[in-house]
Amino acid sequence: MKGLERLFARLRRPFERTPLRFFRPLFDAIEAFHLWPATEPDKPPWVRDPLDVKRYMSMVVIGLVPPLLVGLYLFGLRVLAVILVSYAVGGAIEVLFACVRREEINEGFLVTGLIFPLALPPGIPLWMVAVGVAAGVILGKELFGGTGRNLFNPALLGRCILTVGYPTAMGAWIEPKAAWPGRLLEYAVAPESYAGAADAAVDTAASAVDAVTMATPLVEGKAALEAPETFYEQAEPVANLVWGNVAGCIGETSAVAILLGAAFLLLVGVVPWRTVAGSLAGFLVLGAALHAAAPATFGPVGWHLFAGGFLFGTVYMATDPVSSPITKPAKMVYGLLIGVLVVLIRNLTGYVEGVTFAILLGNIAAPTLDEIVVRWRTRRLET
Amino acid sequence: MHLKRQGGYNVPLAGRPASPTETLPEPDALFLPVESGRLTFTDPAVADGQTVRAGEVLARDPVHFDVPLLAPRGGTVRLDAVEGHVVLEDLAAPEEEQGEQGPPAPDPRQSLLDLGAWAFLEDAYTGAVPDPAAAPSAVIVSTVRLEPFGVRGEAMLREGLSAFSRGLERLQGLLEYQPIYLVMPDVDSPLADEVHERLRGHAFLQIVTIPLRYPMDDFALIARGLGLDPGGAPVWALRTEGVLAVDRALTASRPTLDVLATVGGPAARRPRHLRLPAGYPLQTIRSTDVVEDARLVLGGAMTGRMADDAVRGMPVGCPGLTALAPMRGRPLFGWIRPGGSRQSYSRTFLSRLRGAFPERMPTALRGERRACIACGLCEEVCPAGIMPHMVHKYLYQGLLDDAERLGVDLCVGCGLCAYVCPSKIDLRAQFLQAQQDLAEERREAAEAAAAAAAKADAQEGADA
Repeated sequence: MKGLERLFARLRRPFERTPLRFFRPLFDAIEAFHLWPATEPDKPPWVRDPLDVKRYMSMVVIGLVPPLLVGLYLFGLRVLAVILVSYAVGGAIEVLFACVRREEINEGFLVTGLIFPLALPPGIPLWMVAVGVAAGVILGKELFGGTGRNLFNPALLGRCILTVGYPTAMGAWIEPKAAWPGRLLEYAVAPESYAGAADAAVDTAASAVDAVTMATPLVEGKAALEAPETFYEQAEPVANLVWGNVAGCIGETSAVAILLGAAFLLLVGVVPWRTVAGSLAGFLVLGAALHAAAPATFGPVGWHLFAGGFLFGTVYMATDPVSSPITKPAKMVYGLLIGVLVVLIRNLTGYVEGVTFAILLGNIAAPTLDEIVVRWRTRRLET
Repeated sequence: MHLKRQGGYNVPLAGRPASPTETLPEPDALFLPVESGRLTFTDPAVADGQTVRAGEVLARDPVHFDVPLLAPRGGTVRLDAVEGHVVLEDLAAPEEEQGEQGPPAPDPRQSLLDLGAWAFLEDAYTGAVPDPAAAPSAVIVSTVRLEPFGVRGEAMLREGLSAFSRGLERLQGLLEYQPIYLVMPDVDSPLADEVHERLRGHAFLQIVTIPLRYPMDDFALIARGLGLDPGGAPVWALRTEGVLAVDRALTASRPTLDVLATVGGPAARRPRHLRLPAGYPLQTIRSTDVVEDARLVLGGAMTGRMADDAVRGMPVGCPGLTALAPMRGRPLFGWIRPGGSRQSYSRTFLSRLRGAFPERMPTALRGERRACIACGLCEEVCPAGIMPHMVHKYLYQGLLDDAERLGVDLCVGCGLCAYVCPSKIDLRAQFLQAQQDLAEERREAAEAAAAAAAKADAQEGADA
């Protein structure tokens, strides 16, 4: 690697002296991406663990690969376009803020830039992806001072803004295609995509295929509740929900893929099991109890578990270390709160899906939960 | 009794010294640093150019009960030759040891002080030199040293088990009824059996076992685990070498001049235990024992002090040297390689499947500094049971009182939180600074209260 080291050393000079130094954070990030830094500690301990934030974040990215691949297979090449726009716009904003602040570029956007598109409907207009990721990153992260200081999960905030601002476009579902080779070779668009001129150009260039839109299982499920005794005949079969052969957001449809990612993330210890366990417990216990009490209002919990974005949100969004509580008991309660809120929002409000709102509400509660745990612990320390 | 505790981690650093002990050639000169960790010998007791005999007092530490700096060899004193050092030149050959028993010392604590054994004692909670005049509430003797790579008590015990057991008796002679806790590792070894066998008869001894996991040998953790009151009478703590020094001082009235030190770590050519006089030139050790461009740490890799060029000789009380190599070359895409040869406390490296092995770790941050991402690894590894990430958050915002509320004072400074931190935050340094600031705050408050009380008293007197 000596050659590469020399190359970076030579390229470094203009980024230190000339007006190019505005882009110093970008240069540093590119260098650190390629070559592991050799900085020596100036305080003990004189040796350090090889885990760094880059690796930590890349673990999450690896965990996101299974749902990404399933989404790509079911919904086609347009998924790549959505991800590309998200990374490009989100990355550009991150770089710009880092350069203005003269701070290092944060690896967090590698995760945000991938989670965000996976939580969008595959037929969403590309300009809306850009708006959503920009809003999420600026309002959700940069205004708070960057990664580590934000209150909300930026990807979720961006999604929330799109949900509220463009409810119809956020329903641009595409019918999945399960038979080999899926839509792997297609650039499918939703027929009533509210595409602007840019989208139209992309669509033409990619010789887009019009796909049938269809309602998501949650919409059908809510309708099926009118006759609770025949719920399973009218609603989407659970097997389809588990494998993912249903309409929905790009990454959320396949429970198997999400559980695969979850297993990896739990194994490497990047996702706190307490949050996941709390959320599942809250969802299952309350959902089962309410379904037993009022089957006409609350759908069966075993079906709801695999429908919609609950698993995706629980595994990838609720567990974001920055916007969730830090203390262990608070993580459990936070998970519980999210699970409970999802059940309530899905069944008692006009919305069919409530994961976004539930986790954002959980984000709001997180600092308070932490504070309660801290008070409780200090009282125990004092006695 | 067995002490259990959460947290802790053995850093898998390569270069553990192997027994037996070796002796280095006698040096031409000794460089005794005036600044030696917790002691600072600012009061010279000899004049420049004076000739001293081995064991004579060269200087004293006026802050810490006049603890003396003893001449490890006879020779000529140079006070101004090297900045910050007392230099001894024209060294005499070390005297032959004679096994004769000296007369019993009339004031054993004074003898310990005069013969250099007192410096081996520390307060279990504060690490400071204990007041020789005050009676302790208990004594902790540890045969374990877990920080890589201090001298293991084991190596010393093997050299003199009878001296060790005699030292314990001498130590007990200083006390009235207070217990002595002897800390042993919770592993079965022939040596442990032998120690148990030999010390069985001593009723004043209570044997305490601890897991062999860094930093379970920390005196504050042990004292806390034993339920000894941190606010009460001091708890004396010393290690194997301290007991041996006590034995020499009180049995043979001899000063402890040579110490056992280690040269270990990944950059040590041949990690080994060495018998050395204090002040041994580091330059000699650099040229014979460590690879070129190695960084030499006085003490262990977790808490030691980096020896810069200003330090010329082995400081008094330094348990060993850790030689670390800087990173050679910067690996391409180092952060995402599977990591079969690098070990991490976290489970994000492939090496996890291999089990622990000694690793030639470089002295490098191995990553870039970032804001805390609240991963919680520091809390998991903390042996003191505090939440380092929360304490860090408060200190970052300047909320010293909130950090105190969360128990920053319980931090024992083991450095594991800073070791595991993926954001490479220097948590240990931050917490030790906070402890100092809090101590300062308390001292000022106490002074203010005392002044107010004195004023009130004076007022009352005037009124009367």
